[in-house]
Amino acid sequence: MLEFDGLHKSYGANRVLDGVSFAVAPGSMFGFCGSNGAGKTTTMRIAMGLVRADAGEVRWQGRPLDQALRRRIGYMPEERGLYPKMRVGEQLAYFARLHGLDGAAAARAAEHWADRLGLADRRRSRVEELSLGNQQRVQLAAALVSRPEVLILDEPFSGLDPVGVDALAEALLEQVRGGVPVVFSSHQLDLVERLCDAVGILARGSMVAAGPVPELRRREPGRLLRVVVPDAPPGWAAALPGVRVESELAGDTLLELAPGTDDQAVLAAALRTGRVAHFAWREPSLVELFREAVAEPAGEVAA
Amino acid sequence: MTSSGPRSPGSAALVRLVAAREVSSRIRDKNFVISSVVILLLLLGTMAFQVVVSSGEGTSRVAVVADDGRIGPAVEAQGEAVGVDVEVVDVPDAAAARDAVEAEEVDAALVDGTGPAPELLLLDRDPALEAVVGGAVSGLAVADRLLEAGVDLQSLPDVAVTPVGDEGEDDGQRVVVAIMGVVVLYGLLILFGQFVAQGVVEEKASRVVELLLATMRPWQLLAGKILGLGLLGLGQIVVIGAVGVTGALVFDLVDVPGELIGTVATVVAWFVLGYAFYACVFAVAASLVSRQEDLGSVLVPASMLLVVGFLVAVQAAGDPGGTLATVTSFVPGLSPLVMPVRQAAGEAAGWEVALAVVLMLGAVGLAVRLGGRVYAGALVRTSGRTKVREALRAERA
Repeated sequence: MLEFDGLHKSYGANRVLDGVSFAVAPGSMFGFCGSNGAGKTTTMRIAMGLVRADAGEVRWQGRPLDQALRRRIGYMPEERGLYPKMRVGEQLAYFARLHGLDGAAAARAAEHWADRLGLADRRRSRVEELSLGNQQRVQLAAALVSRPEVLILDEPFSGLDPVGVDALAEALLEQVRGGVPVVFSSHQLDLVERLCDAVGILARGSMVAAGPVPELRRREPGRLLRVVVPDAPPGWAAALPGVRVESELAGDTLLELAPGTDDQAVLAAALRTGRVAHFAWREPSLVELFREAVAEPAGEVAA
Repeated sequence: MTSSGPRSPGSAALVRLVAAREVSSRIRDKNFVISSVVILLLLLGTMAFQVVVSSGEGTSRVAVVADDGRIGPAVEAQGEAVGVDVEVVDVPDAAAARDAVEAEEVDAALVDGTGPAPELLLLDRDPALEAVVGGAVSGLAVADRLLEAGVDLQSLPDVAVTPVGDEGEDDGQRVVVAIMGVVVLYGLLILFGQFVAQGVVEEKASRVVELLLATMRPWQLLAGKILGLGLLGLGQIVVIGAVGVTGALVFDLVDVPGELIGTVATVVAWFVLGYAFYACVFAVAASLVSRQEDLGSVLVPASMLLVVGFLVAVQAAGDPGGTLATVTSFVPGLSPLVMPVRQAAGEAAGWEVALAVVLMLGAVGLAVRLGGRVYAGALVRTSGRTKVREALRAERA
């Protein structure tokens, strides 16, 4: 397990992290979402030892991360970092050696990952000569070249074209299948929803929602029930107990049910109006979950 | 996955990796190669210039019309006594002597040197040569007359020569060598200090430092960088020293090779100490900024110290026993530039050199410790310019 446990961090009066905790199981992918400035990058930098947490720790297999353990982590910083004048192959081999591979193994790994990520013919190019997309691939290769046990990637998909996104996603899924826990942050929520076993939503320095996407959906209060009843008179559902009409347009009705309200009673009422063309819980997308989660809780602020 | 996984490299291995990368990337850097070649060419050019200049006032050839064979050695001896190299060429008669002068095969020709009317033939007047030949001719004549008068020349007293003080000619030569050494040392300190600073900013500006610090501690990165570039710098100053010494010996520019080599070795040793100090200071200063453009502003204070040391060293060459030179030769940071000059001038006692070295070592230790903390605190702050105090406070574990 990769565990982030109760991380706190303040810069002066600015409280950036206020008790961030979550865990990533080996062989699973964890998507890390949050608005800009929510503290995603700080959390990752604490894991990599680049920022010192005021409180809390990050553990891998039960041991707090130290320099030796961090060497087994593949890391991709938010601000890409490579030597601009160094050649791709040499650069990858250098990072592999810093992570503890010997010379020959590092050279082999550098060649392997350059090939894997479609950089085979660019191995002798300087990084500054590559397109941004290719630089991004080199960056990912630098994170993977040391055969890491854990991957921590800050915005790995930003700036990639759709083909690049697919290639990167495939590479990450392969790591996951090999038993590596992968944590990545992203603003591309559709991507997170598609790839991740679990997501965490960070807002105002703490985790406001974390878990598998289906579970988050179930937990989400105020789910909407969509009922399409073409023959029903307007206002057909207004009088049903525990039901609030969100919207109604020519029989296409969105209903919010109070907790404990029986959706079958709503179905029965709908059938009484005539034909029921559609009756289903509307699954909120991750985008809606995200909006809901990061929304400023008005009541709490007032209190 | 973990069974075949990589081992954790130790500090020494990491420092070595960083150092090796610095050396290999710098050696392939065009600017470095060009600057090295230019320095060597300058050195060789200076020596060639010396050879050309000194050959003009070098050996004079004097033709002597064959006589009893005494005047030739007398002219050579007189030349040696006053410091003019004279080579004597025997010619059969006065006509041959005149021809040789007109053909510029010789600088002058002495006709009838031991006779009653000695004559010196030359194209251009040369007071030194005239004095040498005149002295030899009259000396020989005086000796002959005295011998005829029965005076015993054996009993004439010889003047014993005892040099007083340290202002001998050898020290002068050693000071010149030391000054040249200090010029090279100053140039290399500035050059390699810049390399270190540029390297630090490059890593910070390209953000690669985040990846590096995820695998090693800041001091390991700092040590590797300084060691790698330091080895290059040491290699360069040793090559320059070797070429300089060899050239000076081949071109016969110095009289006492042992002392020349000693002075060069002193300069090289001071380079090691000076580099360790300035590399650290430059690296720390560079770690405070995030862009190459801002580098100049933070390097100025450190460079000023170097410039002051250089100016004092030049001044010390003229007055190696003066108060300014004596005091500054102990000041860490200045001592690597001033002390070699004082040592070459023979003005520094053993304990003074030892004290300066100890003070400098202390300063290096302090720079590494304090600098390492600032460096660690400032490295991951990639926005704008970091203040030293902030960096010290933000120092990570």
